[in-house]
Amino acid sequence: MLKAKNRLGLVFFPAFDWAISPTHPEREERLLYTQDQLREEGVFDIEGIVELKPDIATDEDVMRSHFCFPDVRSVITESHMISAGGAIRAARAVLDGEVDRAFALVRPPGHHAMKCVHGNRGFCNINNEAIMLEYIREHYGKRRIAIVDTDCHHGDGTQDIFWHDPDVLFISIHQDGRTLYPGSGHLRELGGPNAKGRTINIPLPPNTSEDGFIYTIDNMVMPILDHFKPEIIINSAGQDNHYTDPITNMNFTAHGYALLNEKLNPHIAVLEGGYSIQGALPYVNLGIVLAMAGLDYSHVKEPDYDINYSPQENEVTEYIKKLKDPVLDNYFNPKPDIDRAPVGQFTLRHKNIYYDTDGIQESQKEQIMTCKDCRGLLVIESTASIHPVCVGIEIPVDGCKRCQSEGYKIYEKAVKSKEYISVQLTDRVKKVYKRVKDPNY
Amino acid sequence: MLLGIDVGGTHTDAVLIGENGIESTFKAKTDTRNLLHTVTTALKEVTSGIDVKKIKNINLSTTLSTNAIIENKLEKTALFISSGPGIDPANFRIGENTYIINGSINHRGSEVLKLDSPSIEKSMNACIKDNIKVFAAVTKFSTRNSIHESSIAASAEGQADFITQGHTLSSQLSFPRRAATAYYNSAVWRIYSNFLTAIMESLKSMGIEAPVNILKADGGTMPAEVSKNLPVESILSGPAASIMGIVALNKITEDAVILDIGGTTTDIAIFASGAPLMEREGISLEGIPTLVRSLQNRSIGIGGDSAITVVNGEVRTGPERKGPCAAEGGEHPTLVDALNFKGITNHQNKEKSIEQIKLLAEKNKLKPEILADKAIAFSVKKINDEIELLVSQINQKPVYTIHDMIQGKKIIPKKIYIIGGPAAALAVIMKDKIEIVVPENYNVANAIGAALARTTFETELFSDTGKEKMVIPNLGIEEKVSRRYSLSEAENDIIAHTRKYLEKSGYKDKDLKIDIVESSSFRMIDDYYASGNDIRVKCQIRPGVVMNLHK
Ligand SMILES: [Zn+2]
Ligand SMILES: [Zn+2]
Repeated sequence: MLKAKNRLGLVFFPAFDWAISPTHPEREERLLYTQDQLREEGVFDIEGIVELKPDIATDEDVMRSHFCFPDVRSVITESHMISAGGAIRAARAVLDGEVDRAFALVRPPGHHAMKCVHGNRGFCNINNEAIMLEYIREHYGKRRIAIVDTDCHHGDGTQDIFWHDPDVLFISIHQDGRTLYPGSGHLRELGGPNAKGRTINIPLPPNTSEDGFIYTIDNMVMPILDHFKPEIIINSAGQDNHYTDPITNMNFTAHGYALLNEKLNPHIAVLEGGYSIQGALPYVNLGIVLAMAGLDYSHVKEPDYDINYSPQENEVTEYIKKLKDPVLDNYFNPKPDIDRAPVGQFTLRHKNIYYDTDGIQESQKEQIMTCKDCRGLLVIESTASIHPVCVGIEIPVDGCKRCQSEGYKIYEKAVKSKEYISVQLTDRVKKVYKRVKDPNY
Repeated sequence: MLLGIDVGGTHTDAVLIGENGIESTFKAKTDTRNLLHTVTTALKEVTSGIDVKKIKNINLSTTLSTNAIIENKLEKTALFISSGPGIDPANFRIGENTYIINGSINHRGSEVLKLDSPSIEKSMNACIKDNIKVFAAVTKFSTRNSIHESSIAASAEGQADFITQGHTLSSQLSFPRRAATAYYNSAVWRIYSNFLTAIMESLKSMGIEAPVNILKADGGTMPAEVSKNLPVESILSGPAASIMGIVALNKITEDAVILDIGGTTTDIAIFASGAPLMEREGISLEGIPTLVRSLQNRSIGIGGDSAITVVNGEVRTGPERKGPCAAEGGEHPTLVDALNFKGITNHQNKEKSIEQIKLLAEKNKLKPEILADKAIAFSVKKINDEIELLVSQINQKPVYTIHDMIQGKKIIPKKIYIIGGPAAALAVIMKDKIEIVVPENYNVANAIGAALARTTFETELFSDTGKEKMVIPNLGIEEKVSRRYSLSEAENDIIAHTRKYLEKSGYKDKDLKIDIVESSSFRMIDDYYASGNDIRVKCQIRPGVVMNLHK
């Protein structure tokens, strides 16, 4: 009988009754064949592997990571709460010591969901990993956490949520934004003024293959992780780098994903994208499961591997090698922000965000306090094409007295002004999550 | 009249049930070395003085296959497996003669790699040299496409007395379970068939012509003829017999717990709205998961003969047995002795119970009352804790749709039904928390369950309309369908095919209710274009009893 070296919890939630739309890649059958493969392999019978039922995330869980406008219930469906709850269940299993490792195979995905949420962008409404991470920090007192996003698309949502957080290291490996949605994730994006070098982007060229991904892990990701010394490592385990994926241009494999996972050795993995639901997902997921459980995955191989997979071209290899120095520099010697405001003042940033799935245009005025005692108060005013201006105020996890009282002052003023249809206050210090909505809206 | 026999590990019970209820019962120790003798004795005794022509049906629950597997009295069996990509198939070797053959069928049932015929031939020659006569063929995803299993079976023809093809056992996915189940099925086939033939002969000699059915772990029966090809389905039917006995003896409509308290173990089963719950995948035997469907049943090491021990001042009961209870001449006090001591029961030699409880108490500087109280309390707590754990596990069972996540019903037991030796006594003690029921005739509930159990059956239809194909693996059906084949057509088809199969295979039960238990149709899309539907329909004949014995 097979026995897992690492006890592994699998939160498997395929949401067989939910789709964005009937022919959308994010549809009912997406995990059907993965389930078939895992069941036929007898994965759930392996000693040390347990299947876990997802939790259902609460509004508070969501508000810990997001400013939802006009409120949480307007931007989510039950499926999102179960998907995020699945990630939370995986985290609980690991942090409570039920298992050593956990993998949340849940849908819908979440890594394109940003700090402010007005609707769905890039198939995502709320960010499963971010919600899970903040749940871990709030309930288990962990502080330093790393997220490594191996989805083919830039994890722009996760980047946005932790942009100002010096305790969260976010590394995204993705197909270069000049060639793929969402277009971001360039080398120069490396974190907000108070968290420089805590966001690391590794934009890989199209057709990156097994060699290129493993080189990136060995020579860029691991040295940074070794230095950062996170208490918890999370893998945003998107699977759309696969050579059969219909919406991307990479050249990765099931075996490669398993090897990557073995090297990264994350405590928790959360499924993100991956839309080659017959040719890739069953094998990639099996590979990841076996790697996380510490089991042999050498026999995991796509049926068409010998026909359709080709090794990496030299040109691609050379390009990736040249990425190493700038990437390491971004972490070890990040360039300071010349626009950073002096202590006690806000650094201002204007952003425009497009929600491709829902066709919403959002414009933001974001302010982050430069503070010598904490990571700084955050205030975002957001106007979307579907509703008027809203505001979110966040007192960070380590918020100092001054930022706390300033946060409440801004909150009360915003409520009194009646200028906003929705005002959300997130006080991570006192664990207060509240909102005032315009009753007429 | 209906006849039921339950051959258990220690006891064999038989019961004859007429229109007005129980006509006669018989209980004896099981002669494990001669089960045939045990069965024929039970048959003779329970029918003595009765016109055997009145017997309309015989249901038999036997440990023969279970024992053969546990005691490793298995025939040398060649297991041929072929898996394609995934977990290394070498992990699923069983016995000395597993042959791994190259070949691959994917999750859609498409052949990816042809079976390596030269390697089959070579392996088959090795089997001939080893004089192996029984075979099992199992390939990955054979429930979607059984072509590789069939070709292995074809090449064993001539050499094989019996061959099990994995897809005929169950439509369920799980290659390792299929391999183990097929292997056991072939490995017990000869000993089982011989036993069954012998029983049929004795019945004939006794003038009994009633049809014979064999009990399964899912609380249902299969005709004896069918069981000859599926002997593995007869394993671990004992606990199911008891559970079906409870169903016959009580009108259960609520969420409930069933406790069967035996000599060294207590079996726990859970009912949801009056129906016994099934194990999700299949029962495990000796720690090896199989595809044999089973009622959910949890066994813990507490029973009437569980020894009372004192460890570091803590009084415990079980899990070990140190002989029978003192009341039956044992040397060590047990749970039964504690109950006797407290005056809750009056089992056999009560004085002996009191003597041994006092002795153990003295040795550990405890008051005998305290020792007895604590031993009983320990047992009750152990059982209650296990019930709680089991219920919470059932309620935490994974589900796969948003509907089930949100609407899923939680089980909250309202009653406990207790059977087995010390049932009445424990009922008195456990009463304060929840309503306890001890049915009449609880001491032969197992045989009653055997006698009255109906047929059960399960199968699944799988269709890929893009390929214009429909299969029902364990019925051996593969048909061409139109690209417009619908879910309702599939539902009609599976019921029609199941009825036809049951009639053909000698199922006598007249008003069988076939329920569709799962039904789904997924639109398959390749590059944004619909490429057909993935249709899956599962039907079941749920366990039930042919008559009720309660008022
Ligand atoms: Zn993606
Ligand atoms: Zn501050």
